[in-house]
Amino acid sequence: MPAFPYLFYNTIFRINIVTIAMMILTGIIVLVLLRLAQRNLDVRKPRGLQNFIEWAIDFTANMARDTMPSERMVQWILPLAFTMLIFLFVANWLGLIATISIKLNHPIPWLGLTAQNLAMAHGEVPLFDSPTANMSMTLGMAFMVWILSHAQGLRHPRQYFRHYRNPMAIIEEITNPLTHGMRLYGNIFAGEALIGVILTIPLIFGWLPVSIPLLLVWLLYSGFVSTIQAYVFTILMTLYVGHKSYGDQVDHA
Amino acid sequence: MFELGTFIVSIVTFLIMFWIIKTYGFAPLARMLEQRRQLVEGQISEAEQNRLQAEKYLNEQHTLLEEARKQAKEIVDAARVRADEQAREIVAAAEAEAERLLESNRQLIERERAEAMSEVMATVSSLTVELSEKLLHRHADQAVHAEMVQEAEKMLGDLAC
Repeated sequence: MPAFPYLFYNTIFRINIVTIAMMILTGIIVLVLLRLAQRNLDVRKPRGLQNFIEWAIDFTANMARDTMPSERMVQWILPLAFTMLIFLFVANWLGLIATISIKLNHPIPWLGLTAQNLAMAHGEVPLFDSPTANMSMTLGMAFMVWILSHAQGLRHPRQYFRHYRNPMAIIEEITNPLTHGMRLYGNIFAGEALIGVILTIPLIFGWLPVSIPLLLVWLLYSGFVSTIQAYVFTILMTLYVGHKSYGDQVDHA
Repeated sequence: MFELGTFIVSIVTFLIMFWIIKTYGFAPLARMLEQRRQLVEGQISEAEQNRLQAEKYLNEQHTLLEEARKQAKEIVDAARVRADEQAREIVAAAEAEAERLLESNRQLIERERAEAMSEVMATVSSLTVELSEKLLHRHADQAVHAEMVQEAEKMLGDLAC
């Protein structure tokens, strides 16, 4: 178990610095990507990156159309869904492209790197990692979506509460955000963890690198999973919010 | 290990990131897409309008052509009627002229014939009288002579007629 640096380690409000920093980095990458796509923005002839981003927007819109009750809702959720899709895509891929860890021998107690933690992690302190490989972060995203969907549902209290006459619906409301967040976390964390394990396979006979083909196969698979999980998380978000969007005449602006 | 701090701060971070990306990354693209949508829509409706206009023009042309054709036919018909009339008039005039010429010639011939006849009669009557005188061996006086000529002429006139 690697030892992450924390803020406020000794309180209940401990913050994983690497996760938050990686989120900010992901956001910056996404923003740079979108700004690059906007260079030479052309209404008539989209080129290169602009074309790709337009395709991504279109893809997101179609995804939302499949799960949302009205076109108005689709246009309302589109910025969030698009940001979520591309943000999670970049976030998932960051950990695949590289994970950087440093070997730390001296404990730094105020960052949560106590001697005991360092000993458990063999002194390994990650500095560059997928933000989505952190359970708290993915649950946070899922919780945000949960709040959003219920806020959307409460615009029509009568239909909203009628839905809960069935007690199974209440259980569903608890399991949905949990699975929503844990699914993303599990997939990405497992991918990275296995990459870490494969990298520690020793050379057979002292020269045969048996880990290389394994690593290639697992990287391909993880890349596939990373992409799919970004898609799944986003479509579930539109689905949950769409489920609670009662009525079409609401002003969502 | 669930960490409350990471949980809450990651939500806040994401919301901030979302706001920045939406404002500076997504909005211009969405605006552009909206512009394109409007452009395409405008062009489609414009093309439709043009098509309708073209159809209208075509119909107009058709009616105009039809009208022109009808007018041309009318004009040709009228011309034909007038030409027929004129031809008839010309023929009638020619016939009348011929008739007139024929008539005048006939009168001329008649007159000449009458003149010739009267001349012949005068000669014949005087010859008759002279012959009679010779036969009678005597001179008829002037009065008797005139009377006999008159008588001869009368009888000849009866003969000639």
